[in-house]
Amino acid sequence: MTRGRLASWLLLPALLAAWEGYCRLSGIPALVVPPPSAVAAALWNGLAGGRLLPHIAMTATEMALGLALGCVVGFLAGVVLAEAPGLRRLLYPYIIASQVVPKLALAPLFIIWFGFGMTSTVAITALICFFPLLENTLTGLEQTDPNKRELFRMLRATRLQTLLRLKIPSGLPVILAGLRVAVVLALVGAVVGEFIGGRQGLGASIIAAQGMMDSALMFALFALITALGMIVYQATLRLERWLLNRQSKG
Amino acid sequence: MGFVDIERARFGYGTEPAIVDGVDWTIGEGAFHCLVGRSGCGKTTLLKLAAGLLAPTAGAVRIGGAAVRAPRPDVGFVFQAPTLLEWRSVLDNVLLPMALRGRPGPQDRARALELLDLVGLSAYADRGPRALSGGQQSRVAIARALVTRPALLLLDEPFAALDAITREELQDDLLRLCARHGTTVLFVTHDIAEAIYLGDRVAVMAAGRLSHTLTVDLPRPRPPDLRYDPRFNDLCRALRHAMDGEGA
Repeated sequence: MTRGRLASWLLLPALLAAWEGYCRLSGIPALVVPPPSAVAAALWNGLAGGRLLPHIAMTATEMALGLALGCVVGFLAGVVLAEAPGLRRLLYPYIIASQVVPKLALAPLFIIWFGFGMTSTVAITALICFFPLLENTLTGLEQTDPNKRELFRMLRATRLQTLLRLKIPSGLPVILAGLRVAVVLALVGAVVGEFIGGRQGLGASIIAAQGMMDSALMFALFALITALGMIVYQATLRLERWLLNRQSKG
Repeated sequence: MGFVDIERARFGYGTEPAIVDGVDWTIGEGAFHCLVGRSGCGKTTLLKLAAGLLAPTAGAVRIGGAAVRAPRPDVGFVFQAPTLLEWRSVLDNVLLPMALRGRPGPQDRARALELLDLVGLSAYADRGPRALSGGQQSRVAIARALVTRPALLLLDEPFAALDAITREELQDDLLRLCARHGTTVLFVTHDIAEAIYLGDRVAVMAAGRLSHTLTVDLPRPRPPDLRYDPRFNDLCRALRHAMDGEGA
C-alpha cells in the first residue's frame, strides 16, 4: 500500500523529467511544447509578481457563486419534484431533455442576456451544477426505505417532518455524491464560460496567452486550474465525510 | 365486546381475490394474541388494518369502540426489520415518537433510558444503531414502540431474522415489558413455538381467513423451561395439525 503510494508520488517527477529531457533533446519549438522549467518559470512570475492572483480570485469566485446557486436551486427543485409526483410526471421529460442539451452551448446566449463578465459565467456554472443536484436529490429522496416511511406514518409524522427527519437524512449520501459531481462540473463551467465571455479569470487568461502565443503561460494556467479543482474537490470530500460521520456516530 | 374488535374485515385490490377475506376477531384488554400462518396468507395485511396503515375495503376494525381510520397515537407497531434511523443515536431512536410530537422532555428521556435499561442496552444509549447486533436493534425497536405506553402493541414477525437463542431472550423481554403496563398485544409470526410461548390465544390464518383458533392455558409468567414441557409440545403439535389441515 505505502509502496504503491510512493510510486504514485514518484510518477509525477519522473514524467516531468522525461518531458524536460524530451524538449531539450528533440529540439521541439517551445511554442509547441514548452519544457516544464519554462512552465514553472511562467507560473512563478505570474504568482510572485501578483499578476495571476486576481484571475485566480475571479475564477474561484465564479466557481463558488455558480456552485452555490446551482446547488441550492437544484436541491430545492429536487425536493419539490420528489414531493409532488404530479409535477414530476409533468416536468420529467423536459428535465431529461434539458439534461442532454450541452449547457456550454448556451454561453453565447447568456452573454446576450447577462453581458460579458462575471454574471454570464456564474449563470452558466449554476446551470451546469443544477442538474446533478436535482437528479441526485430526486433519487436520494425516492430511495427512502418504504419500511421507514411506514414507521413515520405509524408515528403520525407530518409531511414536513417526514421530509426533514427521514427523507433528506437518509438520502444525504446520494445528494452529496451529486455535489461532488457538481464541483467538478463547476470548474469546467467557470473556465469555459470565461473562454467565451470573460475578461478576467483563468479561462480568459488562457485565451489571452493563446493570443500572445505564450504556451508556457497556458501550461502554467492549466496547472493552476488543476490545483484549484483538486483543492475544492478535496474540500468537498472532507465536507462529505464530516457530514456522513456526524450522521453515523457510533 | 373486547378492546380490539375486528368485524368482517376485508381488504383487497380491485377484482383480485381479497388478501384479507372477512376476518372476525376480538382481543380483550391486556390479552396477548398471536396470529400464525404461512407467508402470503394475509397476516401482515390484517395487522396493518389493525394499525390503521391500511383501510379495510369492507367491515371495520375498532379499538376501544372507535373505528380505526388512520394510525392512532395509542397504538405501537414493531416492523419485521428494526427500521432504526442510522443517523440518530439509540436514545434518539427510542425518543423518535416523542420527537415527532414536540420536544421530548426530561421525563420522556427518563422513560426511554428506563426502557433501554430493561432491555439491557443502557450502555449503548449514545451509540449509533450500526454499532448494535441484530438482536440489539430489535430490542431498540421494541423500546421505541413502547416508549409512548401504547394501549395496543402490534408486532409483525419482529424476531424472524434472529438466531434461536436471541429470539428466546427477546420473547422473554417482550412478555416482561408488556406485562408491566398490561399492554394488549397482537403478534404476527410464522413460528409455531413462538406463538404458543407468547400467546394466550393463537389464531391460524390461511388464504385471508382465520381457519382455526387455539386457547393456550399455560402458566403466566412463562417459566423458563416451559419450552421443554410436554403440554407445550402438545399445543405445538395441535397448532401444527391445524395449519396442515388448511395448507393442503
